Amino acid sequence: MEHTVSDIRQTISPETLLARIAKAERAALAALFESEAGRLLAIARRIVRRNDLAEEVVQETFVAVWQRAGQFDPARGSARGWLTTMVRNRALNLLRDGGRLEFHDATTLEALSGREQDAVSAFQTLSDSEGLKQCLGQLDEPKRRAVLLTYVVGMSNGEVAERLAVPLGTAKSWIRRGIAALQECLR
Amino acid sequence: MSAGFDDQIGDYVLRMLDGAELAAFEAEVARDPALAGRVATLRGRMQALDDTVVPAPVPSGLWRRIEAQLTPTAHASAANRTPLRQQSWLLAASVVLAAGIGFVAGQQFSKPAQPVVIAVLVSENAMPGAIIEAFANNSVHIVPLEAFEVPAGKVLEVWTKPSEEIGPVSLGRFARPAEIVLDGATLPLPRAGQLYEITLEDAPGSPTGKPTGPILVKGLARSPI
Repeated sequence: MEHTVSDIRQTISPETLLARIAKAERAALAALFESEAGRLLAIARRIVRRNDLAEEVVQETFVAVWQRAGQFDPARGSARGWLTTMVRNRALNLLRDGGRLEFHDATTLEALSGREQDAVSAFQTLSDSEGLKQCLGQLDEPKRRAVLLTYVVGMSNGEVAERLAVPLGTAKSWIRRGIAALQECLR
Repeated sequence: MSAGFDDQIGDYVLRMLDGAELAAFEAEVARDPALAGRVATLRGRMQALDDTVVPAPVPSGLWRRIEAQLTPTAHASAANRTPLRQQSWLLAASVVLAAGIGFVAGQQFSKPAQPVVIAVLVSENAMPGAIIEAFANNSVHIVPLEAFEVPAGKVLEVWTKPSEEIGPVSLGRFARPAEIVLDGATLPLPRAGQLYEITLEDAPGSPTGKPTGPILVKGLARSPI
């Protein structure tokens, strides 16, 4: 059985796997899990900051993929992108719902500084040939940080304001102008 | 048509819209494929940032936990369902109605997950107007059987009343009468006998959080056998 899963993974695109999952092929879901779970766990972890919660997000996502693979629309982006969106939405909902994410004091500082590092390193790790890197690079430093903290690690507007030591209105306006400028540049 | 909404694409992708603004934007995305395409494009570009992660080690128990949650006979009707959206309205309605009856009667039809309850909503003149399946994860699958007329500036809003104390709770809105899955609201597990209804509300949705517009169809839920 393991053999089958590996074979599927090596030869079949995530798009095709989703089509097979929509026909209730468990081996296809297993193959998708094998190739994507590590990436998705790491994306969720950047947002929820805890391994157990990141696993919960990925678990929910794959159960949802099993139920909803038929709703994937290739005209709306790639299969990997669809998975990324599902994981991000669940992780961000968990973060926004709040209650379960209280950190003990001892871990707070480390967890929070980790968020900022993660946001910056995502930008630095982008390939230079990636248009997004060039466009982010054209933003003023505070706007770039505001957008990265919001997108990469899911900071709220209030957290961004605190981190950048500016009033909430200023942080919101940086984020809004930052993403608008990015979108214009990417066009 | 979507000029004002175009300015909100970035805010939407960064999840900075909420309340009425968010509902209006999502209704427009559902209505305007070009806007939906531009959202997908920006989202796709931003995901280059997500893809900078170093994949994490996958704990050995994770797949087993997922597998334990998969319904064994899932999806038998998935193949039927996808093309429905492309077929003519009446045909779609009759096929789904047949599928629903087959399911309730315990035939080999099965849904992607077993709904906890199913409600057939009927209009004032007792015509079936929509089928609602409510799932344990709070999502609801809605199959309209009637092409409800939705005037400009109005939306269809789906409600349920889990109990008298809680009163009516919105499960979501949709702009056109088409088969749709809504995320629903975090509520107690739906029960047989629970009321479901669809009302016509001003876009982006009821201003009071309770039904204010005319009731188009309503019905009581039953549990599949």
